[in-house]
Amino acid sequence: MTVKVAVLTGFGINCDRETAAVFEMAGAKSERIHVNKIVNGEIKLDDFHIMAVPGGFSFGDHLGSGRLMGNRLRFGLREQVRKFVKDKKPIIGICNGFQVLVKMGLLPGDDDISFEQTASLTLNDSGHYEDRWVTLEFEKDSQCIWTKGLTRMRVPVRHGEGKFVTNNKNLLDKWDKSGQLVVRYVDPIDTYPSKSDELLPYPLSPNASWRNIAGVCDPSGLVFGLMPHPEANHSTWLGATWTRENLEHGEGEGMALFHNAVNYAKSQFSIND
Amino acid sequence: MGGGLRDVRGDTIKSQLKTDYNLEIKEVRSIMGYQINSPLTDNQLSKLVDDLFTDPIIEIGSFNSSLLDNKEAFEITPEAVITVGFRPGVTDNRATAAHDGFATIFPELSKKARISTTISYVFFGLGDVDLNWLSNQLHNSLIETVVIADNNDCMIGDWPELGFPELKEIEYSPPSIIDLNVSDSELIEISEKGLLALNLEEMKTIQANYQDPKVQEKRKKLGLPPNFPTDVELECLAQSWSEHCKHKIFAAKIHHIDNETGEDSEIDSLFKTYIMRPALEMQQKVDWLLSLFHDNSGVIEWTPEWSLCMKAETHNSPSALDPFGGAMTGIVGVNRDILGTGLGARPIANTDVFCFGPPDYNGHLPEGLFHPSRVMRGVHAGVRAGGNESGIPTVNGAIIFDDRYIGKPLVYCGTVGILPRYLPDGRESHIKTPHAGDLIYMVGGRVGSDGIHGATFSSLELTDESPSSAVQIGDPITQKKMVDMLLEARDLGLIQVITDNGAGGLSSSVGEMAELTGGANLDLSKVPLKQLGLSAWEILVSESQERMTVGVSEENIVEFEKLAALHEVEATIVGEFTNSGTFLVSYGEQVVADLPISFLHDGCPQLQLESEWTPPIHAPIEFPNDCGAGAMGLILERLMARPNIASKEWWVRSYDHEVIGQSVIKPFGGVNHDAPGDAAVIAPIQGETHGAVISCGIMPRYSDLDAYAMAAASVDEAVRNAVCVGVDLDRIAGLDNFCWPDPVESEKTPDGRFKLAQLVRANRALEDVCRAYSLPCISGKDSMKNDATLDGEKISVPPTLLFSLMGNHPDVRNATSSDFKTNGDIIYLLGESKQELGASELSYMFQRESQGSSGIGGAVPKINPERNLSLYKALTKAIHSGLVASAHDCSEGGLAVALAESCFGIDAGAEIEISKLSEYDENLDVWGALFGESLGRIVVSINPKNVLEFEKLMENVACDNIGFVGESDEISIKNNGKLVLSHSVNELRKAWKGTLDGGNSE
Repeated sequence: MTVKVAVLTGFGINCDRETAAVFEMAGAKSERIHVNKIVNGEIKLDDFHIMAVPGGFSFGDHLGSGRLMGNRLRFGLREQVRKFVKDKKPIIGICNGFQVLVKMGLLPGDDDISFEQTASLTLNDSGHYEDRWVTLEFEKDSQCIWTKGLTRMRVPVRHGEGKFVTNNKNLLDKWDKSGQLVVRYVDPIDTYPSKSDELLPYPLSPNASWRNIAGVCDPSGLVFGLMPHPEANHSTWLGATWTRENLEHGEGEGMALFHNAVNYAKSQFSIND
Repeated sequence: MGGGLRDVRGDTIKSQLKTDYNLEIKEVRSIMGYQINSPLTDNQLSKLVDDLFTDPIIEIGSFNSSLLDNKEAFEITPEAVITVGFRPGVTDNRATAAHDGFATIFPELSKKARISTTISYVFFGLGDVDLNWLSNQLHNSLIETVVIADNNDCMIGDWPELGFPELKEIEYSPPSIIDLNVSDSELIEISEKGLLALNLEEMKTIQANYQDPKVQEKRKKLGLPPNFPTDVELECLAQSWSEHCKHKIFAAKIHHIDNETGEDSEIDSLFKTYIMRPALEMQQKVDWLLSLFHDNSGVIEWTPEWSLCMKAETHNSPSALDPFGGAMTGIVGVNRDILGTGLGARPIANTDVFCFGPPDYNGHLPEGLFHPSRVMRGVHAGVRAGGNESGIPTVNGAIIFDDRYIGKPLVYCGTVGILPRYLPDGRESHIKTPHAGDLIYMVGGRVGSDGIHGATFSSLELTDESPSSAVQIGDPITQKKMVDMLLEARDLGLIQVITDNGAGGLSSSVGEMAELTGGANLDLSKVPLKQLGLSAWEILVSESQERMTVGVSEENIVEFEKLAALHEVEATIVGEFTNSGTFLVSYGEQVVADLPISFLHDGCPQLQLESEWTPPIHAPIEFPNDCGAGAMGLILERLMARPNIASKEWWVRSYDHEVIGQSVIKPFGGVNHDAPGDAAVIAPIQGETHGAVISCGIMPRYSDLDAYAMAAASVDEAVRNAVCVGVDLDRIAGLDNFCWPDPVESEKTPDGRFKLAQLVRANRALEDVCRAYSLPCISGKDSMKNDATLDGEKISVPPTLLFSLMGNHPDVRNATSSDFKTNGDIIYLLGESKQELGASELSYMFQRESQGSSGIGGAVPKINPERNLSLYKALTKAIHSGLVASAHDCSEGGLAVALAESCFGIDAGAEIEISKLSEYDENLDVWGALFGESLGRIVVSINPKNVLEFEKLMENVACDNIGFVGESDEISIKNNGKLVLSHSVNELRKAWKGTLDGGNSE
């Protein structure tokens, strides 16, 4: 048996191929599945160990990024998704997928998995969509199964609505304390660790996200979402400055996240391939 | 907008009004409005606002009342409010999404519900601004309506409201009969009034067809008017025979005279002579050229498992009328050409090349034209939305500026696709396999009155009467769903034939595919409509977007329709392919058109045109006297700030260039990610190191001296760019996209012979250079009426050829970027520098600075393709051996600009000595050495430890050590030891980045 990954597709999701590919590179078996196939019961989420909501422009993001897809999942897959998390199975949302998980209330989420929206991702302060590389730093002591042992990572952001905000600032402290503010933008010149609540200037933080937040996890550490694209740095030759670096070619920095999830699933569900 | 947050949408409008019009406004706020036409209770409405329309964390919503009355949202009374909505029938993507969201919440109500959207801009601290002028900057009256509340209205809370954009109900009217037994002048009148764009000879050919007794007899039997065409038939012929579809100028017989050489000759089709024949001859010699010219894009074998295809199109006329919608339909339209190649290819990369009037243009702007900066913003936004929302990376492009593009901008959109060499069922996927009896599906969007006459309209010049129906807005998400569905259908073996509905709509898509089986029956009453009551001809020729036409065998229709339902894509049977020899169109029981396939496709008579070449004369360049090294540095700084050379980073970064996870060489590289790349390298199969290269070349300035030089330089630039990143020169293929002013002599175009001679010369260059480089053109397109007559003023674009290239890259780990890597690396200039400053970027700068007294005359760069090719091959070997640290194309602005750009990549200067360059041309002076644009030149840097090996590989080609990468911020260039140019890299970068900074809301 191998670890099976459900990668959602359809309605304008567009990073499904590379997201499926990185899980395969990490040793799992991934399947690209149209959302409607799960909603109509043709395929059961239960048969998978990991679920990924990839990046894209679901429904064109015309009513706010991720909102319509979030509604489709909230109305159509509520119980399946809840059971998935209760069964200790990991979920990742990347870029538009992160926006979907936040708008449907699964992130930052709560212990009861109540699907209550408590945060949002809004327009970048720059006022425009942007594709540029950033440096991320991970929270050392987080329960997030995706980020175990990670320190820093260079990956691209590609979004116009990536500013993480909430309407209740006390929640930020709560999430910070509970290890949920799991990844932030940092200045690569500063020595590790350097993550800080103080707002970094543009473009080090590409969107003026509060506390430089790039991604969060839920209280269980199983559900994780981030705006940047780790799957876009799956090989060394995709880096922003790889032609300047003296490196041995192979896996890119982004792969560590996917290895973590696949290894977690292997041990959690006793899978030896 | 909740507390402590910003209204970025409003801030962006504020910042753009400041950047584009220097308008200072204290604050702009935005309200997104939704008009819902459905019987809903207040409870249901409240649920909609909470669940769908408002983000509970960051937004405030209201229903049945204006948000402007909500004191929580608007504490102070605004000074003005401008509300913009769409005109009836215009594509409203936000409304489509809203309707989909509505259906998730109220599935039972959704069928009958209709939604439209508005946006309101709320102004504070506006000052003395004419609100009508302001509203014109915020909407396009061709597609949108606007209402304004001025200060007085705001004081009394009389907020602007727009009615629901109802389409007027129209009743279906049966086809009318067009009497062609009329005088010649009346024939022309019929063509002109009906926007048919057919000339007298073509009208007479059609007239004659209906006088043929055999034709008349057959028509009687079918119940058609025997002696005359129906409007459906005439419209269908006009589409099929349009310049846009038939390329009549490229197919014409041309009498060419060259007053310089005394040549007097006849050319039977430019296309066949200079483009197709060379490519077909090259196809004989290799096994990887799979499909040329006859499909929607050209296909090459890339690996034993995969093929690549590429196509580029222009969308100039629609982009002039509605920059956003025109450009967006341009990019999503060319994506469909890829989807319609073979049995369906998947788009994996976009390229965008634009030609605009200068953004700082302050000359006379004829009534009816948008300012170039607005055209640029709109086109850019359209292509950005089209590409990003489709999930296709924009990997390569260019932006060119010239005053003559203010009449018509050129908007080139290209797409690369990938397709499996073989399908699971064993068929080669680049070959269509239709059979008589296959059913014809229309898949995707519905047909509306938008986009009627796009093909014929683009074959006419732009005038004050240009129709708004020619304009459309794309819907990338509807198309994305369709692409996902059709690629699955392809892999399941469900598709026999596929093509897109672009220019000419169903008349072209079904009409063209009918040629493959020898006939088709089409029932227009089966076609799903956005708007009931369209007449038969309108349904047939409408270019409504996001539609593909697909042929499916009868045994596969159940599975095909099931797949469409899963993806929520509409797929409807509208006819079947036959072998009857005719394209038979009916509306229900009534036959409305019967067009024999041979007449439809081969009946159009060949044009006879006159061409005459006399070289133009230009005043010489006046160089400043006694320029010291510092003054020369400042000239370079001003050159770097010219829009043609300036950094396009602000614009390019808002395209996603990395989706699909394949981007190896990106648009920008270097230590600060801001040094411009030469060509894109992608590795489309994740995890594999086999790559593809995509590049382009465009050099319209040289047309002012000689269009031969222009075309040669464009091809060479595309090849050079590809060589810089390490392309495999044994597998490169090109696309030619010509955009010309009308080259047919007439009262309106007295200089038609000269413009046609320019076209002849450009084609001859294309053949000469492509043959020398073994570079077949696998696809191409021409747009031949890039003139605008407005206010009685005619503005014609400079003759422009975009040459796009795709090629193989054997191992992306050896790809090279343009940025200098290490201080102390040795810098070489490859290729021969000549005193070639004619029509150079420098000459145009001096012309502008001297208000026209300095000219652009002089030697225009001349090509020696054989010599260039040996150099490119030697460099390629060095790159593949890992010896080259950086390689950068030397083009606009010459050596000095190329050096500066490579310096940006390491954030350090360079120490250069140019005395060796004069060995190639005794007339070479410092101006020519620094700013001349001789072709075939590349600046490379080499780590000192690799110098010996590199020089050995380059021993038989022009390769000169000209200095090294410095430690300081200074670029210093010496000639025989004397400093001739010196400047700070940081200052140069500031100038280079300042010009086209699009601004943001900071």
